[in-house]
Formats: sequence, C-alpha cells, structure tokens
Amino acid sequence: MIRVENLSYTYDGEETPVLREITTEIPQGIHLGVIGPNGCGKTTFVRHFNGLLPTPRGEVQVDGLSTKNPSDLYRIRQLVGMVFQNPDHQIVGMTVEEDVAFGPGNLRLPPKEIRQRVREALLQVGLEAYADKAPHSLSNGEKQLVCIAGVLAMKPRYLVLDEPTAYLDPSGRKMVLDVVKKLHVEGITIIHITHHMDEIADADRILVMDRGRIILSEKPEVVFSQVALLKEVGLDVPEVTELMWRLRSMGNPVRTDVLTMEEACRELNACLSRAKPQSSQRKTII
Amino acid sequence: MVHLGQYIPRTSIIHGLDPRVKLAAAVVLSIVILKGDGTPCWVTAFLIVLVPASRLNLGHLRTAFRPMLFFLGLLFFLHLMFTPGTPIPPFPPWRVTITYEGLTTGAFVIWQFLLLILSASILTMTTSPGELISGIERVLRPLKAVGVPSHDLATMISMAMRFVPTLLDELDRIREAQTARGACFKNGPIFRRMKSTASLLMPLILSTVRRADALAIAMESRGYSRGARTYMRELRMGRKDYLAVLVMVCVIGMEVVGRYAL
Repeated sequence: MIRVENLSYTYDGEETPVLREITTEIPQGIHLGVIGPNGCGKTTFVRHFNGLLPTPRGEVQVDGLSTKNPSDLYRIRQLVGMVFQNPDHQIVGMTVEEDVAFGPGNLRLPPKEIRQRVREALLQVGLEAYADKAPHSLSNGEKQLVCIAGVLAMKPRYLVLDEPTAYLDPSGRKMVLDVVKKLHVEGITIIHITHHMDEIADADRILVMDRGRIILSEKPEVVFSQVALLKEVGLDVPEVTELMWRLRSMGNPVRTDVLTMEEACRELNACLSRAKPQSSQRKTII
Repeated sequence: MVHLGQYIPRTSIIHGLDPRVKLAAAVVLSIVILKGDGTPCWVTAFLIVLVPASRLNLGHLRTAFRPMLFFLGLLFFLHLMFTPGTPIPPFPPWRVTITYEGLTTGAFVIWQFLLLILSASILTMTTSPGELISGIERVLRPLKAVGVPSHDLATMISMAMRFVPTLLDELDRIREAQTARGACFKNGPIFRRMKSTASLLMPLILSTVRRADALAIAMESRGYSRGARTYMRELRMGRKDYLAVLVMVCVIGMEVVGRYAL
C-alpha cells in the first residue's frame, strides 16, 4: 500500500504550491487512474511515490518504507517502477537487452540473475525476439514496451505510468495498454496518469486532481457521471459517456454511467425497445 | 551500410574471445608496429591470418581502408619528396629529386599505417560496442582506488553511443523544420548557409539539454546511483582466451627475436 499523508510540495523558486495537503491511500493490486487538467500536479504527485522529489512537508510511505529515509530509497525504487511519456528519454542501453538489464544492474544483482530477469521481462511484454536490437530501430510503441520491461526486471509491486501513450500512434498505444492490462491481471498495482479517458474506463478507481488537490476519488462510473464537474475543471469524459449525456440532456431516458461501446449499444437498444414496445418492426442498433 | 570499423556480427574464434584479450593485443601490436626499427614481418603475417580467422572478407577491409586512402597517399608523397639521399636516375631533370631512401621510408610508413588500421579494424569488427565497453570498464576497474570511476565511464560511453542515431534523427527533423521556414543549407552564399547551420545548432542543444534532464530522472527512478553496479555479462577468461594470450606472446616474441637477435 502507498500511503500519502498531508503531502504538500512547492518547486524551488516558485510561490504557488503544486500539491496542497494531499492525503490518500493506494491499496495493493488495484488499477488506479489519475486524471486532471495540465499543471494540476499529477506528475509531481506520482514522482513522490518513488522518492524522485524530496518531501519537506507531509509523508509518503510505500509498504511501510518512508521516502524520507535515504536508506529505504533503494528498496522503494525497486518496489515502485516508473514509466514516463517519451520512451526516447528513458532508454539508456545500446541494445534492448542491455537496457532491460540496467535496473537489475543498479540493484547489484549477480549476472546470472540479471540474465534470467531480462529474459522473463522481455517475455512478459512480448519482445523476446528483440533482445539484440538497437533501440532506435524499434517503433515508439515497442520502445515504450522496452521501458516497461526495464522496470519489470526490477520486480516491482507498483507500476506508475505517467502518460505512457502520449507519444504513441494508435497501434503503439494498443500494444502498451494490452501489456498494462495483462500486468494488472498478474497482480501488479497500476497507477496510470492519462489524458485519454477511454484508457482508464475499466480502472478500479480514478483520482481526479485539480490545482494540487484530489477533488474526486471514485469508481469510473461515478467519476464519469459527474460530467458537469469534469467539464468545469477542463476534462473530457469518454466519448460514449459524452454521447449518452447529450442524449439525456435532449430528454431521452438513458443512463449516463456508460463507459464502453458495448454497454452503450445495450443501453440504447434497451432504451429504444422501452420507447416503442408495441412497434411491429423493432429495429436494433448494431 | 557498413561504416569504418563497424562491428560485423559473426561467429568466429576471434569474435568469441574476451574483449580484454583483444584490447590488450591491439595495444601491444600497435606498439610493436610503431617501434619502427625493423620490418614487422611476423606481425604482418599474424594479422593477415587473423582476417579469415575472424571470418571477415576483403569487402569489410575495403570499408576500413578506403577513408584513409587520401591520407596514406599524402603521407607517401611527402616522404618521397622530402627524404634526402641517393636520387633515382630517371627523375633528376625535374626540380624535385626523388630518392631511393624516400621510396623505402614512404613504403615502410604506409606499411606501418596499414597494419595499424588492420589491427584496430579487426578489434572493432569482431567486438560489439557493448563488449568493448565492458572490456574497458573491467580493465579500468582496479584504477578505482585512485579515483577513476570506471562504472560511470562505461555508462557514459554506452549512453553516448546509444544516442548518436537519436541525435542524427533529431538533426534531420530540425533541418526539415528550418528548411520549411526558408533556411537553406544546400546552396546560396556561404555566409547565409553558415547562418542557416547555426539555426540547427540552437534547437539541437536545447532539446539535448531537455532530454538529459528527463533521462536523469528516468535513470534515478531505476535506481541508478554513482558507484558500483553489476552487469548482465561479467567477463571471464576461458581456456581459449589464455590460449590467445599465449599465441600473442609467441608472435611478439618471434618479432622481437627476429629483429634484434638475428
């Protein structure tokens, strides 16, 4: 569990705090989405999870280890893996394999153990055939998978993804999201910052941040039904939810807590058949 | 495309050797070659044998030698022109004199340089950059006591090499962006072209600095700290490596004996 208590943070030389007295708990095993408008402090918030930023005010604890404690930092960095936006700004190795071995090497593991972990991590993201490739010969999606493998080789319990799909094309995005979903099923806690609401529609919980505070922490259905609130802070809802919301505001009796295409189809069909139960030629959509 | 001295992935005896052995061999051979008070016959024969043993062909060697041809030609020419000695008969009517001594020292210097290039090329063509770096790192590790940060050096070199293609891509992108905005790099007055080139540099430096920042954060989050770390492959000398050392000692021994004892 990651425990955040009264965390406030101000960057050096700036007046306004980026984080204001955040207190929250992130239990192990969940898929947590984090959304919020630009500059709301999402990135600053998650960077505290593995001690990348100092904590002069408040405290962050990862499985009981405090990021304030320099001797715990090593263990915390192993427990909490971070993947950032641009894969080109994360890969340090001349080959895929060497890059994945970077983290375990920093943990000073024996060579045999490193090789074993590299093999497993590449298998987990499906890049086992790419071990000897040079990073610049890969697509951006594949590069981002290399970054994820590099983190997995450290055997983390938590995986923090800071807009991992921002630089990817749709196919790269799908590759990364599929792997993230699979890792969550395998038991890794996912903390996923994103601007694409569809990516976290199936999350267990969503944190909505605005101006350094968590303004909402609920299940996706609840969060996305607060369309007015989200729009006020400058966020979008998933496209299907937006559609349902507009239909509703036009006077149609549809539910608005719909997040996926399939659900939307079902709801619209149900709504149509409710509307004309006596019609002889009932049409179904899709 | 193969560049000068670029690694050629093959499976050969030479490819399989410990990079430290190859590094040491290249250094020792260079010293023997440059210690120019005798003809390095044994070394020449040895290096020529190494080429097929590394499963390299003449095409690979051509890529190694071609960029040096102009330099070698110039070197030969200068020796030919400016070495005093016995003139070669057919040429005296001209103002310059070409001497026998010039011809032989010129040829000798070219021979030395060809051998140097050959030995360096065999090293880099049979050793991947990663192996080479871990070899250098391992050789420097004992110097840690006197403050040489071998691990950090190795990380720095390998990162520099990893980012060369990325930076070239970036340069291309910036050049396209600046061309689209009217900069010209191919023709026009030289001053204007220089100015255009400056317009490439600034964005490149800025983006590199920004990248370095992001990279530092990513490395820190993966537990990087200065000082000791471990590697996926730790170098270990095997029987074939010791054998290679023995062969090297023999070749150098023959060379030295051939030069001074006979």
